Amino acid sequence: MLTFVDEILLLMLDDEKGSFLPIRESTMGYVLAGAVLMDLAFANRIDTDPNQLMVLDKTPIGHSPHDRILENIATSNETRDTKAWIETISREAGEIRDQSLASLVDTGILESQEEKFLWVFRARRYPTIDGRAEREVKLRITGVLLSDETPDPKDVAIICLADACNILRDVFSEREISRIRPRIDQIRKLDLIGREVSGAIQEIEQAIMAAMTHAHH
Amino acid sequence: MMNIGEEKADSVVIVAIEGRVDGLTAPELENRISEIVDRGDVQVLLNCAGMTYVSSAGLRIFLTGARKCQQNGGKLMICSLQPDCKSVIETSGFHTVIDCHDTREAALAAAS
Repeated sequence: MLTFVDEILLLMLDDEKGSFLPIRESTMGYVLAGAVLMDLAFANRIDTDPNQLMVLDKTPIGHSPHDRILENIATSNETRDTKAWIETISREAGEIRDQSLASLVDTGILESQEEKFLWVFRARRYPTIDGRAEREVKLRITGVLLSDETPDPKDVAIICLADACNILRDVFSEREISRIRPRIDQIRKLDLIGREVSGAIQEIEQAIMAAMTHAHH
Repeated sequence: MMNIGEEKADSVVIVAIEGRVDGLTAPELENRISEIVDRGDVQVLLNCAGMTYVSSAGLRIFLTGARKCQQNGGKLMICSLQPDCKSVIETSGFHTVIDCHDTREAALAAAS
């Protein structure tokens, strides 16, 4: 079964080119950190409220970055809120991403290709060879956003992550997104971890905008 | 700690929640709502007058329960939230997907 990390990475990849959609590194870090916490929350290992993130059960879930992060949270001496943990975990985004990609290659969903450019630099691409999993995720997202039905919490979580890194534009046209924006805004509030991911990304974007404006003047 | 009481008013099953609904207690509430819907009672009112705390895990169970009721042609409602819990529900927008009422009477009136 795919984790939230797996699912959001599939959505972040351009299926044919196998490269990542243009997403700022800090944004990807926060989104992957949020995805790890969602995986732990849905496995009943952690729980959250607006003030703190709590460990319910330290039993590993069988995914190495997740289990190491769970152990870190469980052994931490200080009580921290979800946003603080998202910021901490985002520093490990590279490893989280690489392990998930390796798992998606192992299960035959992606293929790993290395290409050289400018004869020297190497880049790894991950074209999709079995698109069923990604199609299923996109179907779940469209099913929720194009209806008024009460959403499944798992669908809420993936929509929060997809909206936070602005990749719903790969699922819907700009016009459709404008039309369903009220529904997206309604859904993305429903998950506390997702809300904190969006908040952290917004703060970074505002800081970048402020710095650019300052530099311009 | 959480206690769950249950009574029926016409076609509505009222589930009275007392205590904390968190990651430890939420599964019990989920099972109870599931049992109620599975036996054919699809109008469910969660009376939260005695609920002192709700975490994300608790909110997820509210959503799962509401979805299950809706899929079976019914509805899940919430009533009598204490101020702290009401604030959590409103901040997270749950009141936009689940009908919340100030009192049990208002909820039952809306259901009839």
